[in-house]
This record gives sequence, C-alpha cells and structure tokens, in this order.
Amino acid sequence: MLSAACAVLALLSAASPALAGVREIWWNVTYVDNVDPDGLYPRQAIGVNGTWPPPPIEINSTDSLILHTTNSLTDPLTIHHHGMYFNSTSWMDGAMGVSQCGIPPGEDLTYVVPINASGQYGTYWVHAHSNGQYVDGLRAPLVILPETEAYTYDDDFTISISDWYHDSHAVLIQQFISISNPGGAEPIPDAPLMYFSQHDAYLPPKSGSSPAGSTSATGFNENATLSFEPGKTYRIRIVNTGAFGGFYFWIDGHEMRIIEADGVDTAPYTVDQLNIGVAQRYSVLVTAKNDTSANYAIHANFDTTMFDTVPDTLNPNATSYIIYDADSPTTDLTTDVYLDMPDINLVPLEVQGMQPATATLEFEFEFDTMTDGTNHAVLTGAFNGASWGGVTYNSPLTPAAMSALTLGENATVSSAYGPLSFPVGHLEVLDIILRNGDTGKHPFHLHGHKMQIVNFVSNYTSEDTSLNPPINESQPNPMRRDTVLSPASSEYTFRVIMDNPGAWFFHCHIDWHLESGLAVQIIEAPLQMQERNTLPSVFNDQCAALGLPYSGNAAGHASTTDLSGLPVGPWLQNNGWHSRGIGAMAGCVLTAVLGMASVVWYAFGGHISEAEIEHEERIRLEAKAARGRFFGLAKKVKALRAQPARED
Amino acid sequence: MAKNLFSVSIFFIVFRETIEAAIIVSVLLGLVEQIVYEDPARLARLKDADRTSDPESPESPTTEKPSEKDPSASSDASSTPELTSGTDDDVTTKRLLRKMRFQIFMGAILGLAIAGGIGAAFIAVWFTQAADLWANTENLWEGIFSLIASIIIFVMGVTMLKMDRAKAKWRVKLQRAFSGQEVDRNAKAGKWVLFILPMITVLREGMEAIVFVGGVSLGQQATSIPIAAIVGLICGLVVGFLIYTFASRTTLTIFMIVMTNFILLIGSGLFSKAVWYFESHMFSVLVGAEVDDTGGDGPGSFDVRGSVWHINCCNPENNFDNTGWSIFAAIFGWTNSATLGSVLSYVFYWIAVMVVLVYLKFKEGRTKLLGRESQAGVRRRERKEMLAAQAAAEEEEEKQREREAAPVVEELVQ
Repeated sequence: MLSAACAVLALLSAASPALAGVREIWWNVTYVDNVDPDGLYPRQAIGVNGTWPPPPIEINSTDSLILHTTNSLTDPLTIHHHGMYFNSTSWMDGAMGVSQCGIPPGEDLTYVVPINASGQYGTYWVHAHSNGQYVDGLRAPLVILPETEAYTYDDDFTISISDWYHDSHAVLIQQFISISNPGGAEPIPDAPLMYFSQHDAYLPPKSGSSPAGSTSATGFNENATLSFEPGKTYRIRIVNTGAFGGFYFWIDGHEMRIIEADGVDTAPYTVDQLNIGVAQRYSVLVTAKNDTSANYAIHANFDTTMFDTVPDTLNPNATSYIIYDADSPTTDLTTDVYLDMPDINLVPLEVQGMQPATATLEFEFEFDTMTDGTNHAVLTGAFNGASWGGVTYNSPLTPAAMSALTLGENATVSSAYGPLSFPVGHLEVLDIILRNGDTGKHPFHLHGHKMQIVNFVSNYTSEDTSLNPPINESQPNPMRRDTVLSPASSEYTFRVIMDNPGAWFFHCHIDWHLESGLAVQIIEAPLQMQERNTLPSVFNDQCAALGLPYSGNAAGHASTTDLSGLPVGPWLQNNGWHSRGIGAMAGCVLTAVLGMASVVWYAFGGHISEAEIEHEERIRLEAKAARGRFFGLAKKVKALRAQPARED
Repeated sequence: MAKNLFSVSIFFIVFRETIEAAIIVSVLLGLVEQIVYEDPARLARLKDADRTSDPESPESPTTEKPSEKDPSASSDASSTPELTSGTDDDVTTKRLLRKMRFQIFMGAILGLAIAGGIGAAFIAVWFTQAADLWANTENLWEGIFSLIASIIIFVMGVTMLKMDRAKAKWRVKLQRAFSGQEVDRNAKAGKWVLFILPMITVLREGMEAIVFVGGVSLGQQATSIPIAAIVGLICGLVVGFLIYTFASRTTLTIFMIVMTNFILLIGSGLFSKAVWYFESHMFSVLVGAEVDDTGGDGPGSFDVRGSVWHINCCNPENNFDNTGWSIFAAIFGWTNSATLGSVLSYVFYWIAVMVVLVYLKFKEGRTKLLGRESQAGVRRRERKEMLAAQAAAEEEEEKQREREAAPVVEELVQ
C-alpha cells in the first residue's frame, strides 16, 4: 500500500498529472456564535469559515487533498485527517505535540494529504487534534470515493453522530483534571447529536421545522430525515465524531449489512445494532422497503454505561427518521437490549495475511488519583522486554516527529523522546498488546496505520483459554481498522507492519482520556524518516513562534538523557506507612505520653492532706455563705428586708 | 459510621458520674455511722425526726418504741435527753442505723431513677426528632459533635483528677448541711434529710451525666448508648463500693489517674477526629456530587493536600470490615488517613492538657512555677508554718513542763 512511499511534495510535482488530481480546500477556523444543534442551549463553537458544523469533505481517491488552514482562534491549532497514512510525511498528521507544535493564532498552514498515493478510500473524518478543539465542534466527515466501489448501491448518505456539550472544552477540562474530581468522572455530554450529509453538504432540517440558532440550515436529531425510495439500496456511512460517548445505532425495521469499517471494505456482515465508539466508522447497506405505508426511526443511543451518571436533563437517545412518505405514520421502537459489536469477526475484502511479530509493545492501563490529587491514566507495560510502570503521558516540548528528524543516530534511543515513546525499526512487525485495566470502554486509535486485530481476550486475568485464548498465528485475513473499542478487562493484540516511517500517536480517542495521559507514541523507523525528510520549514517556524523547540530530544536538548524542562508526572500515589507518617505517629504518641505523665505529675506531689481539704472547703463554703446565694444577690435582697437570714 | 453497639466515651462518662455519686452516698453512710456512734446529741435529733417519719414504712412498728419513750423530744430543740444507754437502746440504735441507711439508699435510687428517666426521654427525643437534621452533611455534624464531646471530656478529665479529694469535700459539705438542718429544724424538714440529700445529690450527678452523655452522644448512634451507659453504671457502682469498703486515698488517686488518662485519650482522639471530619466535609463539598469517590480507601478517597499518612486498610469507618479498628479509633482517635490538621490537633489537645494541669497545680499551691508561688501556695505554706509553729510551741511547752517537772523529780529522788 505504500509502494509510492516517497516525499509528498516531490510526488505532487513529479507524479503523472493523469493520476494526481488536486483537491484544494480553504478552511478558516473560527469561533461561531449561537450554535444550537440540540435546540437546548445556544453556545459558541469552533467551526469553519463562520459556519458550524464544518463542511463535510468528499474526495476521489485519485486526488490529493490540500487543506489550507487559517487559525482564527486564540489558541494554537492542528488539523488531523483521521486514519490517513501520509506516506512518510507524518508531520502532516496534525497531532499536536507528536507531529507538529501547532498553528499559532493568526497563522496559516497547508496540510497535504496524499490520498492519491496512499491507496485509501472509504469513510474517514477530519478533526482538530489540539487543545480539545474538536470537542468544541471542529469535526467533519471525510469520504473518499474509490474508482470502483466493491458494492453497488443506489445512493450514499453519511450520518455523523456525536456527543455535544453546552460548556466549552476549556471549562470542562478544568473540571475534569482537577483536585475536585479525584475519581476522574468524565464530563457528561449534554446531548447526543445525529445529522446527515451527502457529498459536500449537510442535509437541511425537515420541511416545516424551524431550528434555532446559527445552525438552522442543518437538520439535527428529530429534525433530520433521510428520504428513502421503495426498493432502493442505500449505503449509509456512520461516523462517531464525538469526544466521549459511544453509541448504539440501528434503524427500525431495516436490516444493516456492514460492508466497511474504518476505511476497510469487508465481506457483508449483518447486524441488528452497531456499537460504535468515538472515531469509529462503519458503512452499512440498507435496502429500502417496497412500500411507503410507514416511516421509520433511526436510533443513536448513547452507551450510558460509559457515563458516571445520567442526569435527568440528558435524553441519551438521538432519534431521526427515514421518510418514505411524509403522510405515512412513523414507527419509533425503543429497546433496552444493546449488542456489542464483535469487529474481530469482520473479514476484509482485500486479503492480508499475518506476518510473524518481531517487536512487542504491551501495556495495561488504568486510571487513578495521582500525587497531585487529580485523576490520570496510568500505563504499565513493557517494550521488547524492557518494562516500565506507573507512567502517564505528557506531550513532549519538541514534537516527536521533529525529534526523530533531528536527533541523528540518537533518534533510535527511546529515552530521547521522553516517557512512553517507543522507537521501532523499519519494516519490523510490531505487536501492540493492549490491556484495559479500567472499568470502561476505550476506543484506541493508531495514527498512520491500520491495525490487524490478531487476538481478542475478553478477560486477560482469566486462566480459562476460552476467555483468554493465545494468538492464532495462522489467521488468513484478520480484520484491520484504525480505531478499536477496548472493553473493560479485555486484551487486544494488534499487529502493525512498520512500513510508514513517522512518529505516530497511539491513544484513547476519548478526548478526556487523551488529555489525562492515555497515549503512547510510536517512533517508526526514525532513520528512514531522516532519509525521507522533506519537512517544510514552516513547521519549524511555527514552533519557534510558539516558543517551542523543534530539534533535539523531547525537551529540546541535543541529548538522549538530558530531559530537563520536560513536563512529566503526576505520579502514582505511594500511600502507606512511610517516614512522614511514622514520624507524625511518633509525635502523637510522644505528646500523649507526656500528657499522661503530666496527669500523673499533677496527681502526685504537693500532697494536700484530708485536713487541708476540709479546711479549704470550709473556708470556701463560709465564703460562699457570707456572699450568699446567687453571687450575693439573694443576700442583698434579704438585707433590704432588714432581716438577717443567718447568724453566721 | 459503623453500626456501633458500645460507645466508649459514654461508658466513661457514666462510669465517672456513677463513681462520684457513689462516693457521696458512701460519705453519707459513713457520716450516719459517725453520728449514730459518736455524736449522740445529733442522733437524738435524728431520732426525734425519725419518730415522726412515714408511718406506712414497714419499719414503723419497731421505730415507734423509741419515739414513745420520749414524747417530749420534739417539743424542745435545745434539750438533748439522755436516752442512749442500755441494751434496748443498742438495738434501737442499730435499727435506726438500718432505717437511715435505707432512707439514704431509697433517696439515691429515686434520684437515679429520675435522672435515668429524664436522660432516656432526652435521648429518645433527640434521636427520634432531631436525628435526621444532619443526614446530608454527616461529616460536618460529626465534626461539630466530636468537637463538643472532646471539649466536655477535656473539662471532665481534668476535674476528675480532683475526685480523690471529693470524699473530704463532701464530708464537709454534708456536715454543714446537717448543721444547717439543726438551724432549720423547726421547718420540719429534718425527717427527710437522709432521703432528700442523697436523692438531690444523685440527681445532680445524674443530670450532669445526662448533659455530658447528651453532648457526647450527639455524634453517636442511638444504639451505642444504652449498653455503654448500663455497663458504665454497673462498673461505677462496683468501683464505688470497692472505694467505700477498701480503698485508701492513694489507690483512689491511682485509679483516677488511670481513668483520666483513658478519658483524655478518648478526648484527644475525638478532637483530632473533629478536625478530620471538618476537613473531610470540606473535601466532599469540593468533590461535590461525586461522593462515591470519597468513600473507602486509597487514591481518590482523600484530599492529597495535607495528607500525613494514608494506608489502604484499617479504616475505622469501613462498614463492612473494620474489625478492631473502630474500637482503636474510639479510644485513640485512630484514622487510616491522617491529615496535618488531625495530627496537629491531637498534639495540641495534649499540650492543652499539660498547660492546664501545670497551671491548676500551680494555682492550687502544690507546685512552684519558675520559682513563683501562687496565692494558695502562700496560704498553704503559711498555714503549714503556723501549724508547725503551733506544734513546736506545744512541744516546747511540753518540754518546759517536763523541765519544770524534772527538778521536782530530782528533788523527790534526792
């Protein structure tokens, strides 16, 4: 697939014009006011050219995509074309901190996505990969049409489903990574969104509806409809462009045949429901009914098991409609049966066998309250036998791709890139063994590659081989995709051929988890990266503009060991009985003993004899009697009556 | 809080108050014996009072005899007829003693019953009417209650150390009460004195116990009170009896030291817990609705800021498995998640104990502080010197007498 693995700019100028069409798109990334897709709360969102949602992109696989980006935001920005290979130009990947520093506010950058050379087609998406800007709305489907489709169908729709927050990401992340959130409860979305697009445009709201806000040109949720004609077959692409929420997706009364997942065409696989995690895509074929006597609901229900709570204000179910005839009645079925999606059962149409693994990166992740009281992801594992533990990911100062290009011979040294960075040689076959030690589902995404799913273990702590099977090395054609939903206590083994030199992120696509450190970076074939280096100087300039280093190790030093200045931590709490606690306890015991000693000291010594006590008591009582009751008041009253109460 | 059937602090409070009441009753009993055997003058008055005592009493037929013998006794207060001679009178005295003791015990029991009734009513009202006031902010209330309890215990613990002096004090007090009776005899209250005095005393101690138990029990479960109170009562009675029969003042002192140290350990633990609860409350306010995360042990269950130690076990508040740790917590204020505040407050409590005790001993004139003497100290020293001077003078006088006698003897010998 990477036969044309040469520099993109060279390719663009040198490749034959017949092959290389160029699709140029200009995106001025802006804040958009009064965005109100759920009709519940107008907010400011991040859109493109003053509109939200950002325009969907449809492109032919023979074209190269050139995205001219202007950052009109107040924070640095990167744009990531999710699932694209970039053919050895990983600086175009748009992952902040891994492939680039970010476009400074007010500056431009041209992203080149060599789709024509990567051989990719299918359903992808594009989103910001910086500062949570995609949570604030910068996300759109990207559909690549091949020269010939494997399946025939009459029409093609894309359904974007996502979560939607009423607060901005800046507010939410402050609440999430906070000492007041030691349990790491992710922000609960305020609404699910479902909206449709076809070709380069979103579908308008159904006639007769008048949605609120600046987003009224697009139909969302109950205002979104698809028109079906009887007997026709439709390809429906479903993209979860959300930041957190997984979805169960189904259409009442219609069977769905999966034919594509994450840009990989598959043999038809019939399902009743899709369980689609954040960043995952599926294409299903749906055959329309032969009569128009009824209309049907399309359901996208949040996987609420991922939420800490389901607030009363949240309707977790988005419902849109397939319309045969506007006058027909609508069926809207509910269910409480949710089915998980065994994507390991899918079979790619393009056969790729297994190659034996030559390198292994294995790790288990969980979440914990750290030394600073905030909740972070904690990764523990081993890379080619060398183990590490209790580490959370932080973005390096120097983007890993730039470190790889500038470190020379040192570029193969893991430590130069900071924690959780793993250099792998060219054309090695890497096994990534991912163990989910958490209680939730995590959609893991590898940049720049498709991963072969070579093994799934539902419980990696089990002794039972039906739950914890070994890898079957003789699978003829395991499923491949770029985002895999990892259930709790499961273990996935992904096999990846290291044929795309670059620095690639492997991370949980739940934005909250990415920001709390659930990520590693794979430094793939750094020496070949240096050979193929065509990094445009604008990337260096933009780092400099942001005050970040663009050469040397993760901290910007020409060293493999000196990482001074690199942000690290927080660390796992080391609770227990340590010197501080022992000292404090000793202090407590000491003062208690001294206190009790003073009790003894008080009781003994300076003995007061019985006679003395009696004497003192008599004096006291006499004084009291002399004074009279109630501090002398009673006596005064009696004195007024001129009748002495007592002789003494 | 765990389902707790025994509140250690309540046990100690009831125990202490019972002992004090027992001491008073024992002083009364001793006093009565003293009067009967050594102070016939007052006995006569008491007999006189007894004569007109409750006629429905089962002992009334026998007590009629002495009263018949002296029909004129009540008519003249100043006259003290000589009646205490002969075997018949011995029997009468013993009977009288028995009756007096009976009155004392009846008074004490009645006082106890009234105090118990009021206490029970108070606690019942508190726990049925007011208990749900703080259900939502449990940590805050527990903090307030622990603070109140720790302060009560502080005061109680310090004053308890003086209890070995209680016997003497009460002796004086009661003697004065009797002599007061002498004056007020005409008011016809005399016949009830042996009943009313212990009743009032026990009632007083009982009310004190109720105030203390009430204060301490604010933070406790209702279930933890009755058993602790009853056990404390029984133990107090037993110890009170032992003190009355056997103990010297020194053993009483030692006993009080042990008790005080125990109760101060509890108090310091409660004070530390109070601060801990306040901090815990602030943390749960900070964490907000996510209260689940602050339960249990381990990372996330506590505020890392100011944490001194945290161990993932041994949680006294664990409702499921806290074997022993809740008792450890009740006695020593143990927590598996100590904070700067809870450790410092524990230390400061004990420092306060030391400061107060040193000051009290100084004030009582039992020790010098930085070479200075308190008023009481000066008074005591002067009195001692005076007594010593008196003794010396007497001795001198004695010697003088001897010296004066000696020549006489010599003369006689010669």
